[in-house]
Amino acid sequence: MILYTPLAAEDIFPVEATQFEAHQIMQYNGKTVQAEHLGNGMYRVHQLMSTDPADFLDENCAPGKLFSL
Amino acid sequence: MAKERNDNQENENEESGGKSIIEKIQQLGQTSVAQAPDSRVHVLSIIGQIEGHMQLPPQNKTTKYEHVIPQLIAIEQNPKIEGLIVLMNTVGGDVEAGLALSEMIASLSKPSVSIVLGGGHSIGAPIAVSTDYSFIVPTATMTIHPIRLTGLVIGVPQTFEYLDKMQDRVISFVTSHSSITEEKFKELMFAKGNLTRDIGTNVVGTDAVSYGLIHEVGGVQHAMKKLNELMEQRQATLNGELQ
Repeated sequence: MILYTPLAAEDIFPVEATQFEAHQIMQYNGKTVQAEHLGNGMYRVHQLMSTDPADFLDENCAPGKLFSL
Repeated sequence: MAKERNDNQENENEESGGKSIIEKIQQLGQTSVAQAPDSRVHVLSIIGQIEGHMQLPPQNKTTKYEHVIPQLIAIEQNPKIEGLIVLMNTVGGDVEAGLALSEMIASLSKPSVSIVLGGGHSIGAPIAVSTDYSFIVPTATMTIHPIRLTGLVIGVPQTFEYLDKMQDRVISFVTSHSSITEEKFKELMFAKGNLTRDIGTNVVGTDAVSYGLIHEVGGVQHAMKKLNELMEQRQATLNGELQ
């Protein structure tokens, strides 16, 4: 199905609130990360929010890293 | 108790030793990561959509202005940071969030250089020109088009005037921070026949430089070289003021 419309995709297919809740912005190892909540207190790093290039070399904050709180 | 905790940590370390290689491959597709000393240059990546008041679905790649603005303040305040590189690969997004970021970058006292990689479309254009010096890689493109509005629009003439004024803010920012003329920028913005069923122009690397929108065609190497030059100049003037 192709929809020809000037509307944004999310205006037609609303995103469920649970999807927003699964992603949280939090502090981990002193760095701000956007993490996905996997349940049971486990999180997966989705995005590292930093401007320090050295932070991106830190394996503990690499995207995909699992951690628990 | 303390000893017990140490034992636990050792156990964890032993366990992580085995699985860490697999984890590293899963995370980065490689087994070892380069290490670097503290950098005096910070990197701000403007990637994906620029998110403003409306929160975009989590599967979208977004640059959130409420995170970038404090980072820019930190860059301005931290004396160890001497320069900023802005990496751009954005499709555009919220006009006011984009203009806010552009004004923040433009008003930094520290030297800044931007590189447009891939795309610096729409509201990405003001961000790209907001730095002291801008680069574009030869394959990157920038779409210049009129601003648009999604959501509820009230069908009164005032709506058009509001949009027109918002557009003027974008035009005046770009023309005052780059050498492109207002006439040329408007010509690109309102051109017909360049984009499929849309108004605007897709400007490719070298053309962006010839129009005066971007300073130079170049990549990471050129940007770092230019930023080091600017940082040295700034250091020299600061030293001069002290003497």
